[in-house]
Amino acid sequence: MIDAAVEVRGLTKRYGDIVAVDDVDLVVPRACAYGYLGPNGAGKTTLIKMLLGLTRANAGEMHVLGLPVPEQANTALARVGAIVEEPRFHGFLTGRENLWIAAAARESRAHARISDALIRVGLADRADKQVKTYSQGMRQRLGVARCLLADPELLILDEPTNGLDPAGIQEFREFVRSLVAEGRTVLLSSHLLGEVERICDAVAIVDRGRVVTQGSIAELSAGSDWSIVIACDDPSRARSLLTQQPEVSSVTTDGDSLRIALAHARPLDDLAAELNRILVTAGIGVYRLELQRASLEQLFLEITTRLEDAA
Amino acid sequence: MTTLPSSQPASNVGVPRLPFRLARAETLKLRKRRGLMTVVLLLTIGAVCVMYIAFELFHVSNSEKYGPAGGLDHFRHAVFVLSQLGSVAAALLGATAGAGDLGAGVFRELVVTGRSRLALYGARIPGALALLWPAIAFAFTIVSVLTVGLADGLATPGTRLFVESGLWLELATTLAFVLGLGLGSLIGSRATTIAILFGWIIVVEPVLAHVSPLGRARDALLNAGLDRIAPHGIVDRELRLPMSLWIAVAVVLIWGTAALAAGAWRTVTRDA
Repeated sequence: MIDAAVEVRGLTKRYGDIVAVDDVDLVVPRACAYGYLGPNGAGKTTLIKMLLGLTRANAGEMHVLGLPVPEQANTALARVGAIVEEPRFHGFLTGRENLWIAAAARESRAHARISDALIRVGLADRADKQVKTYSQGMRQRLGVARCLLADPELLILDEPTNGLDPAGIQEFREFVRSLVAEGRTVLLSSHLLGEVERICDAVAIVDRGRVVTQGSIAELSAGSDWSIVIACDDPSRARSLLTQQPEVSSVTTDGDSLRIALAHARPLDDLAAELNRILVTAGIGVYRLELQRASLEQLFLEITTRLEDAA
Repeated sequence: MTTLPSSQPASNVGVPRLPFRLARAETLKLRKRRGLMTVVLLLTIGAVCVMYIAFELFHVSNSEKYGPAGGLDHFRHAVFVLSQLGSVAAALLGATAGAGDLGAGVFRELVVTGRSRLALYGARIPGALALLWPAIAFAFTIVSVLTVGLADGLATPGTRLFVESGLWLELATTLAFVLGLGLGSLIGSRATTIAILFGWIIVVEPVLAHVSPLGRARDALLNAGLDRIAPHGIVDRELRLPMSLWIAVAVVLIWGTAALAAGAWRTVTRDA
C-alpha cells in the first residue's frame, strides 16, 4: 500500500511523434497543497488526464490514494474530485440539476451533499438558475462544488483560478487552504507561478513533459540564488563598473534598477557593502540597495530558459 | 467561497439505487431539452392528432367522397405514419442521448467520478426509453381510441391487430433509438449522427431495396426486416421483400446489437 496521495513512476504519454509526458516520476504527499507548475503545453493536463482515466498512458505506473490506476480507478476515483481544463456543464440545466447528475454517478450519499456544496462555494442563491446564465467564475465555483460531492480525499484542479476575478482568486486561495486544513490533498496545476507559490506547500516544475525539479516551496527557495537590486543616479556607468567585479556573474536592467546576480564567493552582506562602496567612491549616488532571493517564478524562468537554451 | 466545515451529514434516504440514479439522470438531461421534447411530442402525439383531425374534416366536408375518420384502413395508415415519424423522433432522442454529454463536455466530468464507462453508457438506454415508450404508447392509444370512436359503422381492427401493431411500433421506434444511440456514441456528434441516420433510412435504404440485382442481399436491410415483422396490412405489400420471419428477426437483432456494441466500444475506448 502506497501512502502518497499520488505516486507515478516512469509515466509516459505519446501522441504520434510528440511526447506529451516523458518518463515522469512524481510523489504528492497527503494532506498538502501540491503545485504542478509549468508553461502552457508542458504536459500538465495530459498527466492529470491519465491519473483520472481520461486517456491511457503508453508506459509507467500510477497510484492514486494508494490504489493502482487504471486497474482500480473506479475505487480510487470515488474519493477524488477533479476539474480538468475548465469545468463543463449542461447549460440548459440549473446548477443544482447539474450537481444532481454528477451525484448520480457517485455513491448514494453524494446527493445529500449537494446543498452544502452549493453553500460552501457561495452559489446557493443561484443554484436554481440555468448554468448558461452563469459567469465563468460562477461555473468555476460550480465545478468546485461538483468536486465536493465526492467528499474527496484528493482534489485535482487544473488551472482552477481561470476566470476568477482578484477577489475570487483570494477566496479560492483560502478555500484550498481550508481543504488542506481538513486533511485533504489538493493537486493543483497552473502556469500562474505566483499563485502556486502562495497556495501550495510543495511543487513540481514541469517543462516539455518532464519534471525538472520537485520539492517543498521552502526547499526550492533555499536552493535558489540571491541577487542584489541597486537603484542609483547613473545606471549605465554603474553597470559597467559592477560587471568588472569578480563576484558579479551578471548585471541586468530591471526597470530603473540594476539586478546583480552573484557568484557566491563571499558573504552577502560584505559583498553588498563592497559594491556600494565601489559605486559611491566613483561618484555614483546610490539611493536603494536590496538583497533578494529569487522567487519561485524566477527559479521557474531560469530552469525553463536553461532548457530552451539547451534545446 | 466560504470555509465552512465540510459537508458530512450525508444520508442516502430516498435516493434510488445506482442503475436507477444513472437512468434518472439521463431522463432528466433529455426531458429538460425543451426543443427536443417538443419535436418528439409533435412527431408522435401531435402527428396522430393532426392526422385524425384532417380525416375528420375531410369526412365532415364531403362525407360521400371521404369515409369516417375511424376504421381499419385509417388505422393501418396511421400506424404506418406513426412508425415513420416515431422513428424520426426516436433517432433524435438516441442521437442526443448518445452524443449529448460528449458535445457538452460533460462526459469527461462523469468519467472522473470513477463510474464505469459501460455503466454510464448503459444508463442512456432506460433513461431515454422512459421518455420514448410512453410517447409512442400515448400516440398509439389516441390512434386506437379514434379508430373505434370515429368508425361510424366501419370495420375496426381486432384485439390481436391492436396488440401486434402497438408492439411493432414500440419495436420499430426502439430500433431507431438504438441506432441513434449507438451511432451518436460512436461519432460523438449529434448533428452528424442525425444526418447519417436520416440519409441512410430515408434515401439509401429505399434505393437499395429497389435494386433487384442485389437479390437476397437486400434482406440485410434494416427496413426489410422491420417491414416483414410488421402486422398484416400495415406496410404496403409492394414494399415488402419476400423473406422468412426468422431472417427478419435476425436482421433486426443484428442491426440493434451492432449499433449498441459500436457505441459501447467507442465509449469505453475514447479519450474523454
